[in-house]
Amino acid sequence: MDNLYGYFKKQLRVSLGSKEISKEDIDVSILRKYLGGVGYAARVFYDEIPKGIHPLSPENKLMFTTSPLTANRIPGGGSIMLCFKSPLTNTWGESRCGGDFGPNLKSAGYDALIIEGKSDHPVFLVIDDDHVFIRSAKHLIGKKVTEKTQIIRDELKDPKISVMCIGPAGENLVKIANVMFEHRAAGRGGAGAVMGSKNLIGIAVKGSHKTPIAQPEKLTEEIKICLKILRENDIAAGLKKHGTTGDMVANDVVGDWPTKNWRSNSWGKAEQIYDQFFNKHLVKNHGCYTGCPIACGRISEVREGRFKTPVHEGSEYESLSAFTSFVFNVDIEAAIQATYLCNEFGIDTISAGAIIAFAMECYENGILKKEEAGGIDLSWGNPDALPELVRMISLREGIGDMLSEGVKIAFERLGGGSEKYAIHGKGLEAPAHDPRSGKALGITYGTANRGMCHIHPLEGSAYDSLKLDWGLMKYGVPNPNTIDRWDEKGKGKIVKILQDALIIPDILNTCKFFMYSGIYIDHLSELLSAITGWNIGGQELLKIGERVINLQRLFNIREGFRRDDDLLPERMKQKPAFGFYKNEDRCAIKDFEGMLDEYYKTRGWDTKTGIPTKEKLLELELEE
Amino acid sequence: MKIKVKLYTILEKYAKGKVLKNNTIILHKDTTLQELSHYLNIPDNIGIVFLVNDSLQDKEYRLHEEDKVKIFSSVVVEITNFLSKLNYTAS
Repeated sequence: MDNLYGYFKKQLRVSLGSKEISKEDIDVSILRKYLGGVGYAARVFYDEIPKGIHPLSPENKLMFTTSPLTANRIPGGGSIMLCFKSPLTNTWGESRCGGDFGPNLKSAGYDALIIEGKSDHPVFLVIDDDHVFIRSAKHLIGKKVTEKTQIIRDELKDPKISVMCIGPAGENLVKIANVMFEHRAAGRGGAGAVMGSKNLIGIAVKGSHKTPIAQPEKLTEEIKICLKILRENDIAAGLKKHGTTGDMVANDVVGDWPTKNWRSNSWGKAEQIYDQFFNKHLVKNHGCYTGCPIACGRISEVREGRFKTPVHEGSEYESLSAFTSFVFNVDIEAAIQATYLCNEFGIDTISAGAIIAFAMECYENGILKKEEAGGIDLSWGNPDALPELVRMISLREGIGDMLSEGVKIAFERLGGGSEKYAIHGKGLEAPAHDPRSGKALGITYGTANRGMCHIHPLEGSAYDSLKLDWGLMKYGVPNPNTIDRWDEKGKGKIVKILQDALIIPDILNTCKFFMYSGIYIDHLSELLSAITGWNIGGQELLKIGERVINLQRLFNIREGFRRDDDLLPERMKQKPAFGFYKNEDRCAIKDFEGMLDEYYKTRGWDTKTGIPTKEKLLELELEE
Repeated sequence: MKIKVKLYTILEKYAKGKVLKNNTIILHKDTTLQELSHYLNIPDNIGIVFLVNDSLQDKEYRLHEEDKVKIFSSVVVEITNFLSKLNYTAS
């Protein structure tokens, strides 16, 4: 493979303890087997991370990965994947972030960046093609994300250089801390805490290389095909006009909007909340990376009042749901400000809203007293509590110190029966989609390798309750219109294929919303084949997806995770307490264990332990 | 009979030329929600959800004078056939 296309075959390794920077060749056979993104990172992590390390120790690594499709001209190609052992879950950790950082890292000539060790003082890293250096970041400590980004750009005299950085929360090792690219987040699982634990405050990158393309004319044609699909697609148009935020209204009605810390899956308030956002606070749409043809991002503001918030990017579906329905708050202005502050302090909006909902329920039940909460009234829906708790969590002030550890550790410390109010999977707080709207989501939530996230499990939700086939019927997925969303039997088999396919965007670093908009794995395989010159079809992509899911699973197995950890919180399986579906018995998940049995058998995993069988590992060439 | 109809997100475009000012629409008596959907030219492959007077209703529901109808579809994904036999009210 002398003529390798789509890759630079180089990774940058930065050892912060010794300040050693090395440019390493990547084994091409590994790239062929795992491609990139979370696939390549899974291989590296399984090989390099010792069992049982503390996620915030120097032994953990933080990896930034690209793929052959990481480029601004590729539809959905503006993403970077961050991979790490999660301090929130102790499992495999990953976070995707949209923006130009990924394409710029690739343009600098690197397929991946590995950060390891720990600096003895705060630093930031600069990558400018072959010129890579470390600078002191002592002057950046305590500053919020926008200010940090600006200072780094000013210092480098480069207003356009891509910067990813942590906020004060990452410096404080808050376990829900994220890594920000301007106002886009690698949000979930605590990547910001890992970065903070290494005393790495930011990374600036730019490059001038062009990825070698095997078949440039074919690639141009394939891009044209994708752009035509997007131009004609109602979903892409809807995303441009309403963003993900517009889905609050429909999701509320379909029972896919967790409300009041999951006491219900609907509320009936989303229309009112969204109307106010759309008509009063939405400034315009925005693409997260240069050239995005969908541009679903939201630029919003609160012009006046006690929640006055400057023009900023944010207010996505998950973020606003976390600060409205999760916490029973109808004040959209408080929600906008809270999400803005999450981005500035550098914490995950989903986990933050979920943690506050947990605290409110503990308060309601007398487990948490007002004086313990620093005098804050934690009554349901109190808008004033939201921005204040975001600040306290980020700075570990008062009750914020305990809440900054996430709901799993918070309930262990609080006791008093608070466990039942901690809604999480493997320690990751649940996002704003509800398996009581469709049972496949229950399996995907329970078995997701990074815990109960808003990215991987949603293929189940979209297929089951919303009837999207993802272009997978030719690969064995039944027509979703023939499947009842309430059924439990049969879902395990379907979920296996859905997961194998829907991890592909994270292996190829493409935005999943392009798959929602009709760019399926067959299109991705054509793009990939044109770039690399490898003849990779959809079936092979599915096999690679399965391999990566199993390797991530093996990482978790080595850490001690088993079937018993593939859990759903009890509340998530119960009939809603109020809302549109309060009398709908079919909402309840009756036989989660039976669904898991079917899923494990289909996966080739031991049904007692959840460990992949030797035969399955041999089949996937993971036997080593 | 006169009813009120509001279409949301990706369905907004189907109101043009059909729904009058103040979201009013005039229909024959006993029109069903499915017939209303066809009248608005909403394609069958776009899954939709109906609220009538803030209660979930299925497509066979027969409309009455002054009913207030809201029609939803997900921005992100199409919704089909998922609200059969539901008739509950949010509290």
